[in-house]
Amino acid sequence: MGAPPPPDRPRQSVKEAKMLPGRSKISVLVFLVPPLAVYAFAVLLPIVQSLFLSLFKWDGITDMKFVGLDNYVKMFTRDDVFWTSFGNAMGYLAICLVLQLGGALLVAGLLTTLRRGRELVKTLYLLPAVISTVAIAFLFQRIYSYEPTGLLNQVLEWVGLGSLAQPWLSNVDTVLAAVSVPEGWRFAGLYMLIVYAALLAVPKDLEEAATLDRANWWQIFWRIKFPYIRPVWITTTIMAATYALRGFDIPYLLTNGGPGQASELLTTYMYKTAFTHTDYGYASAISVFIVVECLVAVGLIYFLLRRKVD
Amino acid sequence: MTLLTPRVDRKVPAAPAPDGDVAPRRRGRLHAHRVISSTLVTALVIMQVYPLVWLFMTSLRTEQDFASSNPFSLPTEFTLDNFSRAFSTGNLGLNIVNSLVVTLGANVLIVVLGMMGAYALEVLGFRLKTFVRSMFLLGIIVPVQIALVPLFIDYANIGLLDTYQSMIIPLAAFSLPMSIYLFSSFYSYISRETYEAASMDGAGPYRVFGQITLPLSVNTIVTVVLVNSIFIWNDFIFANTFVLSDELKTIPLGLQNYIGAMGNVDWTATFAAVCVTITPLMLVFLVLNKAMIYGLESGANKG
Amino acid sequence: MKHHRLNVAAVAAAASLTLTLAACSASGASPDSSSSDDGTITPREISWLLSRPADGGVITAMEQIADEYAADHPGFSLNLITTPDRPSYIQKYETLAAAHQLPELFDTDATPFAKKLAGAGQMVDAEELLTDLGLYDDYLPAALNYQRFDDGSLYMIPFEFQLEFFWYNTALFEQAGIDVPATLDDFPAMCEALRAQGITPIALDGQDLWPLERYMAYYPFRMAGPEYVQALKKGEAKFSDPAGVAAVNWLYDLGQAGCFQPGFSSTGYADAQALFTTGQAAVYNIGTWELSNLATENLDEGVRDDVDYFTLPTIDGAVTADNEYVTPSGIGMAVNAETYDPLVKDFLAYALARYPEVYTESGALSPTTTASAAIPDNATPLYQRAVDQAGDVGDAIAMPWDTQLDPTSNTRLQQELTLLVQGDETPEGFIATMDAVIAENGPEAFAE
Repeated sequence: MGAPPPPDRPRQSVKEAKMLPGRSKISVLVFLVPPLAVYAFAVLLPIVQSLFLSLFKWDGITDMKFVGLDNYVKMFTRDDVFWTSFGNAMGYLAICLVLQLGGALLVAGLLTTLRRGRELVKTLYLLPAVISTVAIAFLFQRIYSYEPTGLLNQVLEWVGLGSLAQPWLSNVDTVLAAVSVPEGWRFAGLYMLIVYAALLAVPKDLEEAATLDRANWWQIFWRIKFPYIRPVWITTTIMAATYALRGFDIPYLLTNGGPGQASELLTTYMYKTAFTHTDYGYASAISVFIVVECLVAVGLIYFLLRRKVD
Repeated sequence: MTLLTPRVDRKVPAAPAPDGDVAPRRRGRLHAHRVISSTLVTALVIMQVYPLVWLFMTSLRTEQDFASSNPFSLPTEFTLDNFSRAFSTGNLGLNIVNSLVVTLGANVLIVVLGMMGAYALEVLGFRLKTFVRSMFLLGIIVPVQIALVPLFIDYANIGLLDTYQSMIIPLAAFSLPMSIYLFSSFYSYISRETYEAASMDGAGPYRVFGQITLPLSVNTIVTVVLVNSIFIWNDFIFANTFVLSDELKTIPLGLQNYIGAMGNVDWTATFAAVCVTITPLMLVFLVLNKAMIYGLESGANKG
Repeated sequence: MKHHRLNVAAVAAAASLTLTLAACSASGASPDSSSSDDGTITPREISWLLSRPADGGVITAMEQIADEYAADHPGFSLNLITTPDRPSYIQKYETLAAAHQLPELFDTDATPFAKKLAGAGQMVDAEELLTDLGLYDDYLPAALNYQRFDDGSLYMIPFEFQLEFFWYNTALFEQAGIDVPATLDDFPAMCEALRAQGITPIALDGQDLWPLERYMAYYPFRMAGPEYVQALKKGEAKFSDPAGVAAVNWLYDLGQAGCFQPGFSSTGYADAQALFTTGQAAVYNIGTWELSNLATENLDEGVRDDVDYFTLPTIDGAVTADNEYVTPSGIGMAVNAETYDPLVKDFLAYALARYPEVYTESGALSPTTTASAAIPDNATPLYQRAVDQAGDVGDAIAMPWDTQLDPTSNTRLQQELTLLVQGDETPEGFIATMDAVIAENGPEAFAE
């Protein structure tokens, strides 16, 4: 049991007929209400509350003040940090996607050509995923360090690129990439595994036929393998994108958004607004925006990747 | 097929059979390819793992050695002093216990509620199930940050702030959609006939759940637990927001304690603490990595 | 109840949903709110939420005092919950305050948030309390003044007294052929001379943001006095005023002169201090809380005899005296009015009277005049000089700006300062941005 069936098995058509005979209304409720209640309390209710709270100004001590849509007006017209953070969040998303998905595809592809040691590589590659972000932040602080010389600058010096050595977390041009890399590094193994499993599932005879036709590896990949793994690719992209959009820990711990706002993401900005500035209303408006942003991103990814199939 | 036996990898597509029909020239090229890709993979693995090796090495360095020497050099002398400082500064044992409690608690909720929800949606069925299912799917997309402020206020009002539950509930709730999704897709492959036969024998929905669905779910439970544990064990944002007292601090918060007054950090002791805290999960992972890898591979590929 | 908690309609529904879960709720750090006013002292555990080093002088002294008190009052204990990292602490305390979960005692600076708490009647008036206990006159006026709100009211009790100096390395100054800067305007030239010798002029912990914000406070304090920031934060003064412009240009010049080490904004506290104590940097701006690292044999032998200090230089036409500079009495302790009872009062009466004697044994400066710091055996001569310097401190205090501005403006100021000094922002851009940010947030935060 538990072996994954083919990904594209049609299910929906038979679904409606499927209801357990002998079930009662009560039994449905018994099974459904507990999960729904927990989910509603911790996920659905906060969304509603955030919508509500975003119409108020409130510092946690004095009375709440109804301000209508002013928080949203402020967000879109009077707050340049919001837009900077939004831009940074997009940059962070792009870098994470390239590192995680591109890296996943590359390593998974290489892995399929290995004869020995695949299990070892998979294990080692997944290892960073089990480390807490606080530890990762400590680690990368030393890796990027300039004075005393950290790992990265040391390596650059050794390979003769010493002129590129710099304080990666202080330079406004490099800091966003520098805080994105740890996130990419940490989950590279996770996405690699998923893509690897999908690549293995590509029927070999398709590929062999293509090899006999003298197709090069790129043609084999692009014409044969990729279309086959597309459904998994969509899932993986959506997973990676939503994780990148909710990315928080590493920028928060590594630079706290700085220098300036160069590595401030919407999530870290929202957190600061709520828990440092105690401006709960405005923070709620930002978090409502983050939810909308995620929904739009997922919709777009789905739409773009799906359309190519048709 | 049991989950814990390693899956035999299918034969490498690009590798020619030893006495196959491939021309020698071509074989040579393939060999070169393989050497290149092995080298590349090795390089990538080193890049992926070296920071961890360095972390463990640093935890054994003396402070002077850490401050003055080249970061790649081997420690000039080894010391366990950092570990004793790490243990005296922080409360590592307690942090680990707290992380265990939270991870266990959340996993129990995720598994039990996930199975119940999937059973109701997939096996029992009801009129609004498409709607309910999409409500749950929404949770895969919604970022956790939305819940911070409202939950903080709710917790304050009902006195749940600074409790284990304050972490466990949102951690479980945000993992629930994926769990329900995984259980649902698994349940949809249990044949209808199995259920119908049981119903004919007079088994009600509770008995069907207990005697058929539950025993068959074991593999999926392992998958769900392993995948979620990584995220829950390392959760920072909920713990950082809802936990205030030292007694409830989980590992990520405990590590934060090594940042001292005015931002001072005792680096070698901090790295020693990091090593202590990542070791349990790393050991679990190294022992169970086959199951975890299998779970990750099959989990996402079911979609 | 005069404070309206948030009453989202859905909370009721939520509460019922979680009732089952709440039923098994472990008791957290929620304070025991049973306060009897009949004057009987009932010993129990009281908590102090604080932000001080875990093994530092204050905590060590208070633990000892609490043990002494508990010996006479069985059942009493003092639970010290410390979060030394200040930003984490502030977040924790502000959220606890919003949730009405503050313990009996808690640390806070004289921030706008604390002012709101005091205004909402959640803090005990410290001036009344100290007077009532007969201790008010024991305190150094400067130590109390640091804790006061702008209106002069006092709600926090100081536990330390610190002087902030510019520590410098005489050997490196000699090598660069320079003297101690006479005025703030000499800083850029000092930096260039040191840079020319390949020496890092000033070691700066830029990661923690507050050290650079100190530099922001210096020029206006000399030029316009402590009142400038009090007006600035309310939007009544501007960065575009002469004092603001001078300060911004001065900071920009420091950056351009290469005063701070490259990558200062990602350099942490320990690394910055190491730059100075290993003789790589010539100047380091830090308070007397580091005496044990800078003025004892703990200091690296290579620089031990070369370390000296100077106090905040003046400017031409300064309105504040040379002996007035940053002399904080540390984060203060507030007493929660909601949980204030005879036990808390009795304990404070005992602890505050006993504290100076116990605390000064660690070699630290007392906020009172009743005990003097015990100089440690391994101290260098600098230690005694620094301690004596405390007796010669003027009345005006250069307040750290991070305790003054509203939090939103403060966050933005810290961010923009880094950019200004790194040269990523022009003085004009900086002034325009900050004036707009304070106009948006300041007046509202300080509205009465």
